[in-house]
Order: sequence, then C-alpha cells, then structure tokens
Amino acid sequence: MSIGTRREKRVDPSDLGGLIADWLPDGGLLALGGLFKQNRPVALVHEVLKTGRKDLQLVSSPGSGYDADLMIAAGAVAETYLAAVTLEDRMCPAFRGAVEGGRLKAHCVDALSVVGGLLASANGVSFQPVSAWKGSDVVKYNPLVGETTCPFTGAPIYAARAIRPDLALLHAQEGDVYGNIRHLSTMTYADLIIARAAKRVIVSVDRIVSTDDIVARSRETSVPCNYVDAVVHLPHGAHPTGSFPLYSIDEAHIASYADTAEAARKGGAAEQAALDDWLSRHVTAPPSHADYIAAVGGPDRMQALEREAEELSQ
Amino acid sequence: MRPELTAKELQAYVLSLELGDAEMGAAGASAAIPMAAMLLARQTHAPDLQIAGEMFVNPRPKRLYDSMLDDRALGACEAAETFLELFGHSHRGLDFFFHNGMQVDAYGNINLHHIGGTIDRPRMRGPGAANISYAHTSKRFYICTNVHSPRTFVERVDFVTSPGYLTGPESCRAAGITGGPRLCVTPLAVMDFDPDTLRMRLKSVHPWSSATEVQERTGFDLAMPGTVPETPLPDAATLELLRRVVDPDGLLRAA
Repeated sequence: MSIGTRREKRVDPSDLGGLIADWLPDGGLLALGGLFKQNRPVALVHEVLKTGRKDLQLVSSPGSGYDADLMIAAGAVAETYLAAVTLEDRMCPAFRGAVEGGRLKAHCVDALSVVGGLLASANGVSFQPVSAWKGSDVVKYNPLVGETTCPFTGAPIYAARAIRPDLALLHAQEGDVYGNIRHLSTMTYADLIIARAAKRVIVSVDRIVSTDDIVARSRETSVPCNYVDAVVHLPHGAHPTGSFPLYSIDEAHIASYADTAEAARKGGAAEQAALDDWLSRHVTAPPSHADYIAAVGGPDRMQALEREAEELSQ
Repeated sequence: MRPELTAKELQAYVLSLELGDAEMGAAGASAAIPMAAMLLARQTHAPDLQIAGEMFVNPRPKRLYDSMLDDRALGACEAAETFLELFGHSHRGLDFFFHNGMQVDAYGNINLHHIGGTIDRPRMRGPGAANISYAHTSKRFYICTNVHSPRTFVERVDFVTSPGYLTGPESCRAAGITGGPRLCVTPLAVMDFDPDTLRMRLKSVHPWSSATEVQERTGFDLAMPGTVPETPLPDAATLELLRRVVDPDGLLRAA
C-alpha cells in the first residue's frame, strides 16, 4: 500500500494566470512584498496585469515604487494603501498623475498603520495598538487609524485596523518545491508579516533548492511553507528591481519607464500612446518571463546586473 | 587641484558636527547627505555613533548612493532588522533623525503629501512618507533640503506629514510633542528655532550666499541676528576624510 507523496506547491509559470484569477477578484486587495527597488515581485505583477484584473486595491511594505506605478499606469488600480510611493531619486509619474486627475484614491497611510494592520491580521485580531503618532495630518486622514483606550489603564491609545489581503505576491532568492522560502538579501522587509496576513500567497524565487538544503539551514528559512500557497521558479523575477546578492537594480530600465510615464503625465494622446506601447512591449506582450527577459536586454544585461551585485561583496 | 567645497559637502559637514558620540540615529531613503554626515561624524569626533532605526544596524557603505536604503549601499552591516522592530524604534524614538520636504514651514513642519487642493484631490501629489513617528518620538531631528526657494519654504505647509513645532509652543504642548527640529540645513544657510516662539530663524549663511539672498528665497519672515555669521567650514583634513573615505565617488560633488 502506498503512503502517497507530499504535495508540492511548486507551480509552472503557465499556471499563474489561473491561480491569480481564482485568488484575486476584481476590486480585491493585493499585497506586494520587498521594499522600494529590492525584492519586488515584478514578474508576478506582470502576470496580474495580463489577467486584466481591475479596480484593485493595493497595499505594500511601507516603501513602494516601480511595480506599484506600473500597475497604476496599466489602469488596474482603484485604491492604494501605500505609505511612501517613490522611485527615490524621482517621483512615481503614474501615481502622481492618477491622484491629481482624480482616477485613484490614494489613502493617506504610514509605515506603522500598514505594518500594524498586517500584523493584526497575521495575529488574528482586529487591530494592532500603536503608541506613536502625534501632530501629523496623516493620522487625521488615515482610514486605518482609530482611537481606543487601554483596557488595563484606561489610557487613550491608537489602533491600526487589520489588513487582510486577498492575495500576497512576494519575491525571494531561494525556495524549495514545498514553498519554504529563503531570502539571501540582507533585509527580509515585511515579507513574513505579509505572508501571515494574506489569504493566499504566491512567491517567485530566482532558484529552487533542495529540501535537504533548506533543512540544513532551517534558521534561515524566512517564510515557512505553511504560509505559502504556491512557489514559482522565475529567474530574475524581481527585475528591474534588485534581488541581492544575485543581481542588482536595473536603474536604466526603471528610468526608461519613468521617462515614458512622466511624458504621458504631462503630455497628450501621443505620449499616452507611447506609454501604452511601452507597457505592451514590457508587460503584456511577452508570452513568457523568458520572453520578457529577452525584451529587456537578455542574458548580457542580466549578467551585467549579476556582476554589479557581486562586486558589492568584494 | 582641490575642487571647491560644494553645498552638499558643507551640509553634510554641518550636520556631522551635531551628532554626538554614543548617540543612535538613522536616515531614511534618498538620504545621501544625512548618511554622509553620520559616516563623517564616525570618522571624526563620534567613533561610537550608532546607526540604527531604519533596519540596517551600523552599515558600512563604501560609497554614497542617491537611494540609501538598499543592499547596494547598506548590505554590509552588523545586523538587519525587519519592519517588526520598527514598532519598537518608533515608540522609543532615536536620538536623532533627518527629514526632507516638498514644503517646510516657519515652524519646521514637513510636507511630503500634497501642494494645493485637498489630500483627496491635490493640485500636486507628493510621494508621502514611510515613517512619520520619528519626527516626534526622537529627541530631535534635522531638516536637510536640496533646494532653498520660496516654493519650498512657506509660512504654513499645506499638509503636516511630519510635525515640527506645529504652530508654536502651545500647540506642541496640546499635541504632546516633546522633540522637534534642531536645525534646518539648506544649500544656502543654516537655520535654527527661536526657543520662545519656536519659529525658524537664520543662524549662519554659507560663504556663497548672503542674509539678503536667504530672506529673498524664503517664503516667510526669517528672524536674524544683528550680524549674520558665516557657516563654519571644514578644515582640509576633515574635507579630505569626507572625500576619500565617505564619498569617494563624489556624489556630493556632482551637480
């Protein structure tokens, strides 16, 4: 009699569209891991955009930029719960244009309300107490912030409302076929909190490692398999954001997007058409992730980014 | 030939003098000048300065980057924290932190959210901010701007992203704010805050500017001392440390 086999959570990239369609409805709440230009699940974001999902609500670790702006530029987002939205050396053009044009509801949130809300959800409670926050207008307009009193002392205290994403997308350097995730990057951001808070979690990894390898260094497992619904092998899946120590940030590609999107924000139909074309060529038209990599410079470009990351550790 | 001291180098030097040995503080993203100030302080009078509070503990950047919150700049560090630890730091506060703003007002309030219109329908929407709690939980903070113009320096910000001294002493007491901005360091001058009114006033001007120019490029009345001193400049050895050890690629010298 067979005792059967353990179920793998590894999925094929061609399965992603179906999983996303099942797990993220139109108008659903999507969470993105990483931070600013590091470990962002860009390839998975491309898959979301290919499904044509719309009116999405977006939450992220407190620093977001390229991928959030890409989703806004593609018209997929109705509301954001994003603390800082920036490319760091310049603003996010689509975010700015959409908010100023009244096409996007950008909720006024900060790091503690977003992380506190995710933490509450991860811990199965309806809010997280927060003792900081004074004097800022962010608190006045923040839909995630309430006021309550301590049940023990009666002192007033703030509360961050629980955030429960329908789907979380994360990127890490390594994982096994059962969904044990290992970050090799210095930071792990809010990725574990996001995974624990969300109803469903998909993680892209640059490489698949053996479960024996995971077991040999179990303290380095950054997101255990019990919080992961699907893991997918997408080498360079964070591009153009960085996946340290494997490959660095493709600043030129981010700048190419930002220049095109900024021209569209300021310009007319021709500039908007140029942005639509940019999005088509880099997001929706490439049939596979490998085709995407070919469209953004192929192996030569990837090797250059790998060398850049490698030089940092020397 | 030694290139002239740039505004950014002088800003980093002025801020470095403020940071005490054994103090702990951090800078956020897009903070090359504050990071340079912390690294320079370590190289000079504050070898035990602790850089922590923004996830990277005591990083050792080999050079400066426009973005200062990723593995390129800070990956070599003594420890990395997650966003969980941010709660602890945010509640206790740091000794010092740094802020920049799209708008900075006469009481040192910072706006990164919107200019004109409303928060829901702004004329111009800014990037927002990640951690706003350090402005009031830290013992003090420094405002470091890339520009000094009447558009940036306004009597009253359109939106208080990070609080300075709100509208003065009474409002700070009412809000329970005990920290606040110590200095505002711009490409033209150094400002501090009148201890009685908590309004910004001119402290010193950089050698390439003047009190008249600073007032012209400030959108509110700036109190001035009778004679306005010149901002103290780094000596040759300190400037050499800044250029050789902290900023070997010359990010602070680039236009």
